[in-house]
Amino acid sequence: MDSLIKEFRAAYAGQLGNDLAKTLTPDVPNNAAQLMFVWESGNAQSIKDDLKFLFVRDKSARLNMSSDEAVGWQEIYYSYWKALGEVLAAEGLRKSRVKTSWTSVYEAWKELTSQIIRGYTNHEFENWTIPCLYVAGKYMRLYAMRADAERGSNGDDMVTNFQDDFDPETEKHKSLEDCARQLNRIFNLCLSDRAPLSESRKWGIYYAINLLFKTYFKLNSAALSKNVLRVLSAGRGDMPDFESFPKSQQVTFKYYEGVLAFLEENYEEAEKHLTLAWLLCHKGATRNMELILTYLIPCHLLTTHTLPSAKLLAPFPRLQALFLKLATAIKKGDLRGFHQALQEGEDEFVKRRIYLTLERGRDIALRNLLRKVFIAGGFIEGAEGGAQVRRTRIPVAEFAAAIRMSGGQDIDTDEVECLLANMIYKNLMKGYIAHERGFVVLSKNGAFPGTGV
Amino acid sequence: MASTSTPKPDEKSSTPADSKPEQAQNTKTAGALEEDDEFEDFPVEDWPAEETEAANQQGNNASGGTAADHLWEESWDDDDTSDDFSAQLREELKKVDAAKRR
Repeated sequence: MDSLIKEFRAAYAGQLGNDLAKTLTPDVPNNAAQLMFVWESGNAQSIKDDLKFLFVRDKSARLNMSSDEAVGWQEIYYSYWKALGEVLAAEGLRKSRVKTSWTSVYEAWKELTSQIIRGYTNHEFENWTIPCLYVAGKYMRLYAMRADAERGSNGDDMVTNFQDDFDPETEKHKSLEDCARQLNRIFNLCLSDRAPLSESRKWGIYYAINLLFKTYFKLNSAALSKNVLRVLSAGRGDMPDFESFPKSQQVTFKYYEGVLAFLEENYEEAEKHLTLAWLLCHKGATRNMELILTYLIPCHLLTTHTLPSAKLLAPFPRLQALFLKLATAIKKGDLRGFHQALQEGEDEFVKRRIYLTLERGRDIALRNLLRKVFIAGGFIEGAEGGAQVRRTRIPVAEFAAAIRMSGGQDIDTDEVECLLANMIYKNLMKGYIAHERGFVVLSKNGAFPGTGV
Repeated sequence: MASTSTPKPDEKSSTPADSKPEQAQNTKTAGALEEDDEFEDFPVEDWPAEETEAANQQGNNASGGTAADHLWEESWDDDDTSDDFSAQLREELKKVDAAKRR
């Protein structure tokens, strides 16, 4: 414990928040030996005494800390030591091979998190120490998920929960649901700070929100994420500038904000957020870039009717598998190819929640097909010997033939007219249908808006 | 010799990937199916503007001479009159035309 507190003192003296948080980080894969050393440095009573001495009686440290604050830290490290014991036991690293469960780990870590929160509400902790809140929240969420997974695989829940209101869905995520409430406390702790910005906990707000987003998405509760956004925008006036937060926090936040808009079919908004996330993203973070583009590509398809180029997809084989066939079919106006690509990718598209959006790409594929018919129609003499103009009176039968050929199945004229009417309604094609005469009369200037003809 | 001693069970799985590429492939696909769309933590908290994707794109432009817009292209193509699909379409339209004249 002495060595840990030594690190604490160094970080505290230099006001180094990240170093401070490191002393409370149970990174077992990278740090097992050191964590074991801390855990084995005493038993519950001796650790308590040690901490009391180190924080209260030992005057050699000369940290500029009130006795009240010292008590806060003393309690935190005691909770940390206890939680560490659970973590190491759950990982099977403790020599005595004590058994524990991830649920106990979660409970112990939650206790630590509460102590840290208390540090800010009751023990005058300053805002440079907020990385401690980050590490508390981060691991709390990880442990909650492991606890839920472990109980799920053991079938433990069934034994203890035979109440009337038993709901298997909530049981499945019991720890994570609880975790969401704790993370909400952290969020509010940051949000409600009235101190001037330079010393405000508001600097912790986006880290807390991002943890909440991840948690709510796992719980399949986008609505709760929207609540967070609402609260945030209500308080945005006295928040630090978004640009002054670390880019990791900006990018993560913009990704989730974008996906939320996407799920509400607010594609323009979604495109704005996702584009920002994409541009700010670290160029080496391939997986995250892939995630951003998974939603940005369908957005582009709907808002600006543009498709990803081969160059854009080159570094992402997974995205190529996901979108390339679909994009090719859209470009060619190949209705059958589009249908096939959509079906082949269905499982993945549904899982990513982009199926319905991509389905709307069919309109673009159809637009391109009709456009080809228009171009194949060629030119006719302009009125009174003027310059040549494109033929704008197109028989419905021609469109029908094209749709039949491209779709690979028969379709009657009424249905074709219905599709054409839809195209006109959606402003993908300009003109009108002369039903009795079996013609479509297209606009002379811009029959297919935005496509150059 | 230490190098020939039997590896512990958990070390076995981390033996060089090239010795059993097939298995590595399998676990990868299984992982991909399990994976959800949770955003990963970045290894660093912050980075300078030069390391963003935006800068990356601009860098490519300077050397390659293409605009960032080239990452997105129009959803239709004009110069495809030679592909099978277009040829087939023209055939179809000819048939319609012929039927009309009859």
